[in-house]
Amino acid sequence: MNELAGMKRQFSFRLNGRQVSVSAPPAHTLLEVLRERLDVTGPKEDCGKGECGACTVLMNGKPVLSCLVLISQANGAEIITSEGFMKDGLLDYVQKAFVDNGAVQCGHCIPGFIVSAEALLSRNPNPSVPEIKIALAGNLCRCTGYASIIRAIQQAARKE
Amino acid sequence: MRLSDIDVVSPASLNEALSVLHDRSDRIKPIAGSTDTIIQLKEGLLQTKELLDLSNLLELRYIRREGSTLRVGALSTYSDIIESSVLSSSCRMLMDACRTIGTPQIQTRATIGGNLANASPAGDSIPPLYVLDATMKVQSRERTRQIPIEKFFIDYRKVDLKPDELITEISFEAVEKPCDATFLKLGLREAHFISLANVAVWVRWEPEGPTLSAVRVAMGAVAPVVIRVRKSEDFLRNRALTEDAIWHASQIAAGESSPISDVRASIEYRRAVIPSLLYKALHALIESRRAWEKP
Repeated sequence: MNELAGMKRQFSFRLNGRQVSVSAPPAHTLLEVLRERLDVTGPKEDCGKGECGACTVLMNGKPVLSCLVLISQANGAEIITSEGFMKDGLLDYVQKAFVDNGAVQCGHCIPGFIVSAEALLSRNPNPSVPEIKIALAGNLCRCTGYASIIRAIQQAARKE
Repeated sequence: MRLSDIDVVSPASLNEALSVLHDRSDRIKPIAGSTDTIIQLKEGLLQTKELLDLSNLLELRYIRREGSTLRVGALSTYSDIIESSVLSSSCRMLMDACRTIGTPQIQTRATIGGNLANASPAGDSIPPLYVLDATMKVQSRERTRQIPIEKFFIDYRKVDLKPDELITEISFEAVEKPCDATFLKLGLREAHFISLANVAVWVRWEPEGPTLSAVRVAMGAVAPVVIRVRKSEDFLRNRALTEDAIWHASQIAAGESSPISDVRASIEYRRAVIPSLLYKALHALIESRRAWEKP
């Protein structure tokens, strides 16, 4: 069976504040649908098995790994990717804090970190360093050594 | 099998799910949070043409207390458990264990029923449920069974769950004074790690002195299934918890284990750390009792 002949179904969900509808094989991952069908390329596929966090998105307000969510499971959900936090085409205060603190080197893992950081700050506006580390435990970065990322989140918490 | 070729059935209720499973139990695979199953599908370890997605069945997502009994719906996620105000006053051990599983992203999706059905010997929610003497409720369209958790796990990744059955609830007694419980886990890093050994201990203290009138010890990742360490329990029951007694009971536990060497640790290392895990757990319980006695 080639892909064109394979089964497809219609799914709809809210993506970064707008309603979208997409036709996809029901067992494709949310990540595949976001990147390949909807051109939302913030979430990245690195490990594809729940180790790295590069594909992190918010699903109904909580961080999930979009490589381990099937599109059928996301039907009707509210999905927010790193792109969804921008305001009028500009970086929001969390994203800007990452830039200000040099928390972005190669940048590949950063959309996942942004989503985890936004999830943390939305429920805990003033996190301690240990709380930041727990919230980021599911995101790997091989460039920064994490110190600049933690500083960025502290700056974002101060809303500077 | 490519993911593109797999169909997904998304039932709207438990009854519908049990009906679908009744009709197609030979060819459909139930999934919940799917944080393990999607990886197994991608790696070809699991072959199926159809998935039965239970992740949106909110009716199995609850944590409630009835008298002294706690009832946890099988589709409660680790986040639900970690954030539960019911459990924070009645079973912190289970919250502590779930907090060590995976990462925040995995905790959002992964379910306690999934951890039990997946039946990894290193599943961290299992030893706490062993020492709580938990009862599992499993249902098919035709019948409901209540299974003591120790009877549910038969052998390595083999459980007493028929193809047309789903785990629907886990129930156990609240842990309240004079009872207490704790969970400890050892891994290779401080976050997002799989247990290379873990221990759960439940105790009932005598009113006076550091003596236990009842004790249950379970260890994970040290045998093909989680084990109750009954020889250590027998030694500890009705005995003052002196340093010597604690150490002796901990040594006994190593003899009761049958660990393997794998990518995470050798047999020798596992055997060597098992006593220290139980030793630390018993000391944590003594500390916790001291805190009760403070005015």
